[in-house]
Amino acid sequence: MTDAAAPMASAPATTRALTCPNCGGTVALRAAGLTVTLVCEHCTTTLDVTGGTPKLVERAAVAMRRPDIALGTRGTLRGTLWEVVGYQERTDGYVGWSEYLLFNPYAGYSYLVDDRRRYSLGRVLDRLPEVHLHGLWHRAASHTRFGDPYEVKTDFVLGEFPWRARVGETVTETDYVRPGTMLSTEANGAERTWTELTMLAPGEAERAFGVAPRRVPVSGRPSPHEPSPYADAMKEAVIVGIAATLAVIGVAIFTPGQVRAFRTDLLVPLDGATHTAVVGPVELPAGASRVTVSADAAGLNNQWVDLDYSLTHRKTQASYDVYATAERYSGTDTDGRWTEGNGRASTAMSSIPGGSYDLVVEASAHKWEKPGTSYADPFASTAAGPAAPTEMPVTLTVTRGGGFFGNAVLALILIWAWPLIQLALHMGFEQRRRAPLSED
Amino acid sequence: MPADTNCPQCGAGLRFRSADLAAKVCPHCGSLVVREGEGLRRVGEAAAVPDDVSPLQLGVRGTADDAAFELVGRVRWRWTDGGWSEWLALFEGGAHGWLSEAGGRHMLTRPLGHSGTRTTVVRSVANGNAVKPDDEGRIDGVPYRVTDARDAWCVGSEGDLPFAAVAGAKVYSVDLVNPQGLCASVQREGGRTEVYVGRFVMLEELAPHGLRRFDDWPLPGWAA
Repeated sequence: MTDAAAPMASAPATTRALTCPNCGGTVALRAAGLTVTLVCEHCTTTLDVTGGTPKLVERAAVAMRRPDIALGTRGTLRGTLWEVVGYQERTDGYVGWSEYLLFNPYAGYSYLVDDRRRYSLGRVLDRLPEVHLHGLWHRAASHTRFGDPYEVKTDFVLGEFPWRARVGETVTETDYVRPGTMLSTEANGAERTWTELTMLAPGEAERAFGVAPRRVPVSGRPSPHEPSPYADAMKEAVIVGIAATLAVIGVAIFTPGQVRAFRTDLLVPLDGATHTAVVGPVELPAGASRVTVSADAAGLNNQWVDLDYSLTHRKTQASYDVYATAERYSGTDTDGRWTEGNGRASTAMSSIPGGSYDLVVEASAHKWEKPGTSYADPFASTAAGPAAPTEMPVTLTVTRGGGFFGNAVLALILIWAWPLIQLALHMGFEQRRRAPLSED
Repeated sequence: MPADTNCPQCGAGLRFRSADLAAKVCPHCGSLVVREGEGLRRVGEAAAVPDDVSPLQLGVRGTADDAAFELVGRVRWRWTDGGWSEWLALFEGGAHGWLSEAGGRHMLTRPLGHSGTRTTVVRSVANGNAVKPDDEGRIDGVPYRVTDARDAWCVGSEGDLPFAAVAGAKVYSVDLVNPQGLCASVQREGGRTEVYVGRFVMLEELAPHGLRRFDDWPLPGWAA
């Protein structure tokens, strides 16, 4: 082996140990040549490391805060290994957040932004987003401006940064968002930078850096670029709802409506014996059918007809009983002429199994004895008629099927309940997300 | 046209890589040597580039725009709040460009010979005026916006270079970008203003070989 073929033996380490001139502690310098400011991880003294030896810039002035992810921690996010080299806490005056500076000598820098709810991975953009309507156009997507430019102040700094990081530093920031992504621009006089923040999946950053996973609260204020957790379920439910609605409408269109089984005329004695008739057959298809029996006694006048129906299966003798009254009254009182009832009665039996049935009808007709005689009805034909009828003609019509409309309405209500719940959840989330915009 | 000659200071063998790269730092004694006609002149001592955590080093080879290149020189610049490196990429056929390395990001630019001085931003810089972030500027027909503008000075150099980068040499450097990912750099040094245009690159897309290794970082898969 020649000397030229053995360069690996002398590969240097990136991390250098420095001594803090304030506290004497050993401080790691992880990105020599890139790092400008190093804040001692023991005493928070600020050092300038742009030259050969660290220069003291400012002695410890703020209380130590411990980042959730310790400096020097490594983790792989989206395929790249990163090491935490810097940490700062910033605030817009209302809410605070943490920013971890991540470094890899072959990949440069990234940011891990923790808004105390979700983590986002930030990368400085290498191109200008284009102005587009009320926002920006970047990576073939529109980003909407989220509020006005605002001041961001740095509260706390630890570790190393390739710029002059310091507590109290203030920049003007403007945010543009779309679900899952935020474009932020910071300006500080000499420089303008654009950063693209990509929201990580819940638990993704915690797993990468080995810290306890955080539960995303269901309520509370979402991050400006947090995708609605209900959006997908809502879209899915709406699509399913539309498909189901079309199916219900299709079924309703192609389901035959009412089919008349038969019609028959009965003569029911007035104030006489109960008239019994067996009519049929009523043929019902397999499955559950609805059977409607309509009685029409157009000739009723101050009379009524009681009808007892019994739909009896010819083989099993299973029967379904139902009762109806057809009536019509009229008269004159102090308010004038009045009528009540129209001589018709329709009644239905639901969910009748298929088979061959007979309808047994027991009908009795009665006269209404008016209280008193002073209100004699001049139009009444009961007393004075030349041939007062002793029988009342009643026409029975039996139909099967129909009734699907009610079921369809019920089905649609059930179908749309879930999409509407999802829509309400989604809109509630969006309202909370956009709340800061209306508070200013 | 590579030339074999000897360092006027220490006599070590020197090989100039290209006719366009007239300056060289003697790898043996650190003398900054400039070729003038047939002769060599020692301009001074080149300050050594402070060691840094850069994946680049002299000898790294790669490909950009279908042309192979090798990093043959480097100038290290400093400004009040940081520093950056300019690596000289010598392409097949003798053309050269710069691979700028700042804050872990890389820009590949080539010198723009003509036309540069016609534009407002360049004229402004050439006239000794300052520009500021968000200023607009059109260079070679392409609109850009200034992202930063700063005074800097040279802290060291190595390898083959188109000019003698003397330690302490001052430069006014302006960076510009546009929405298509193009970038430009305008540098005023002494009385000269140079314009470079190019784009941001990921090291990965240059298919680099011979990147520097660190014993505490794995070489990424694309560089193996």
